[in-house]
Amino acid sequence: MPPRLNLRAASRSLVILSRPSVTSVQPRIAQIVARRTFAEEKSRNPAPGPNQDQLPHVSEEAAEYAEITGGTKPDTSQGTPVQDILKRDQESTEKAPEIIREEIDPTSKSAADETTFANLLALGQLQNASNGEPVGHKFGLPTLPLPSNANLHYRYDPVVDQVTNLLMQHGKLGVAQRNMAFILNFLRTSPPPQTNPDRPLLPGSPPAYALPLNPVLYLTLAIDSIAPLLRIRSQKGAAGGGTALQIPVPLGLRQRRRTAITWILDAASKKKSRGSGKNQFAQRVAEEIISVVEGRSGVWDKRGLIHKSGTSARANLMFGQKRRRIQAS
Amino acid sequence: MATSINCWKCLARPCATSSSRISSIVSSKPFSSTSSKLVGGPKPFKKAAPAGVKQNLRIKKKGAQKTTGRPPASGERKAMRKRIVLSNTNALAVPGMQEFNKDLVADMLEGGEEKKSLVGNVVVLPGETVDALRAIDAFKPTQGWGLFNKPGLLIRQESVELTRALVSAEDEKSTLRYVIEGSKGSGKSMMLLHAQAVAVARGWVVLHFPEAQELVNAVNDYAAIPNSNPSVWMQPTYTAEWLEKIAKANPILDTIKMTQPHNLPIEIPKGTTLGRLCELGVRDSDIAFPLFQALWSELNQSGRPPILLTLDGLSYIMRDSQYRNTNNELIHSHDLALIKHFTDFLSGSQTMKNGGAVIGATSRSHHPISLSMNLAITQALEKQQESPQTERQPFEKNYDERVEASLKDVHVMKLSGTSKDEARGLMEYWAKSGVLRQTVDERSVAEKWALAGNGVLGELQRGALRMRI
Repeated sequence: MPPRLNLRAASRSLVILSRPSVTSVQPRIAQIVARRTFAEEKSRNPAPGPNQDQLPHVSEEAAEYAEITGGTKPDTSQGTPVQDILKRDQESTEKAPEIIREEIDPTSKSAADETTFANLLALGQLQNASNGEPVGHKFGLPTLPLPSNANLHYRYDPVVDQVTNLLMQHGKLGVAQRNMAFILNFLRTSPPPQTNPDRPLLPGSPPAYALPLNPVLYLTLAIDSIAPLLRIRSQKGAAGGGTALQIPVPLGLRQRRRTAITWILDAASKKKSRGSGKNQFAQRVAEEIISVVEGRSGVWDKRGLIHKSGTSARANLMFGQKRRRIQAS
Repeated sequence: MATSINCWKCLARPCATSSSRISSIVSSKPFSSTSSKLVGGPKPFKKAAPAGVKQNLRIKKKGAQKTTGRPPASGERKAMRKRIVLSNTNALAVPGMQEFNKDLVADMLEGGEEKKSLVGNVVVLPGETVDALRAIDAFKPTQGWGLFNKPGLLIRQESVELTRALVSAEDEKSTLRYVIEGSKGSGKSMMLLHAQAVAVARGWVVLHFPEAQELVNAVNDYAAIPNSNPSVWMQPTYTAEWLEKIAKANPILDTIKMTQPHNLPIEIPKGTTLGRLCELGVRDSDIAFPLFQALWSELNQSGRPPILLTLDGLSYIMRDSQYRNTNNELIHSHDLALIKHFTDFLSGSQTMKNGGAVIGATSRSHHPISLSMNLAITQALEKQQESPQTERQPFEKNYDERVEASLKDVHVMKLSGTSKDEARGLMEYWAKSGVLRQTVDERSVAEKWALAGNGVLGELQRGALRMRI
């Protein structure tokens, strides 16, 4: 192939652009320009930029050249590899970057023969093994099964986590965590609770004197002991005459705890703080938890009330099913 | 209620209390045949709103809820906030802990090869030390004393060095000048407490300013000392309270009798004990400062015990105080008599005749910035490490000559995180107390140590005992 003769490029550089040395002031046009809107933008031709009217691609140029001279055109639908271009152009081969010249050079070694990083690693490990050093993991594998708190999102005790989230106000988790820490430390330092036999705690709970040194258990015991088993759902108009029908609905573990925690927090927020400082609410919550375990808290009555009305509303449990049966028959 | 058995037409339910005949006779209300609700007769109509006044449909809000019960007495709530609890009866007593006494101080200094070093051990403070330290307000409510059965103290490498310096000052009858520096939670106040415990164990007289800001924030009465030029200002009430603490913390003062004549505003017979001298000062704050001066000069007579003078929150006294002089200008902290007394010894312009130490600890929480103090500390540290000196910023105007003079050639102890061994000793103590419910092994120690910024003690405690239980 003959060396490239780019006549078009040569002629382009000789173009003389007529440009007035002094721009005439045209206020009317300026006004129009100022009034131009965004919608008009696309319809106008953009101003000539530095990247406009660039040279075509090598292959396109060769195709055009071949069309003029009547030779065979290269396929412009595919990209031309650099190697192909270099093969037909001796001058460019000489000026090509060294790395490409090396690749073209038939005398050079193939890449596969070289030692790779993986090979070196394997060699090093073999050498270590022969020296008697341990082979494998630097810090050892974890013992399976993984503990339940190994996951980032479940690293804290579930009850502590739930209480912390319910303590949180205005999304301030850090403050809630500090309050939680205060509550647990308050439980840890206050004297062991005097349990009330009329308000039995969960069966199988540890003796009261063992509670303060395990504040998380203390908290869990208080919450689980007053957690209601059900809630009352009011079905609107189901009792006839626009009266709501009370239907007992069983609760899951987390829902039960949530209800209990909410009751405790409500009771604490109604109390009056005796001291001053930033941990007052946390202190009231902690005092409420102690009073729950001691059976003094009004939360026990709330629980009793819910259970009582749940028992009396047992008859309404079949509400939905009855209706369905009637419809079927 | 007009209820009686005779009343046939009344529909009201008979009530147990008013069923007796006498009550029905005595009943003041007239007979009625209507139901009980209307017994009292028709109620007078509400007055209609006067013409022209618009009737409002808005329901009136109830007023603020009336508080019931006794309101807290003045100072009660603050006292509750600042209360210091030194024991938790729930926590387990750790068996085999050594007591922080004179023998232990001697052991600390030996630490030979055959004897196991005490570094990394937690030792328990004996009762008399606790009483003395409590009297001078050395314990702070944020330090977590209330979690453990008995107040214990970790022996660190730095505390052994400090002990050595204190004991050598006592032996050589020289005045040790120390500034304790370090990041927040690194144990500066605890190091001060360690020095005080050593002093109590070795029978020194301990004087302590627990909060330097109380001296300078213009909450106490003050007066210029007569015939002082330039004026030096005393704080009578603070001095009286301070003398009370000194007398309470140092029972040794009751055994020392006055020997020197003093020019005092009141007649004090010769042979009065120093404890009694303090007591007189407590009674009358007007003479408290002259009595303190007399106490100090008596303590500097030969044959008296060494003195430990300490201050917490050094940067507060390294700038202008908030007191004002007669020209309504701010008084420099070093013109306040008690602070001047402290800085005279810290700068080395005065010395203690029977040996002793003056130690100031910086505070890193809510502290004022004193450029000169920071520079002096940096320079002292560089001098100790024999590295090139930092110079003053050339365009900074807020340097203070007096501050730099007061901190000249003072020895600075820079506290940072503990070593892993010390952290492990502390964590084992926590675990033995039943407060840390976790196995203490190399892995858990390394984890807590790293999370606590390479063993910063305050952070270590926060991470293991407070925030993550």
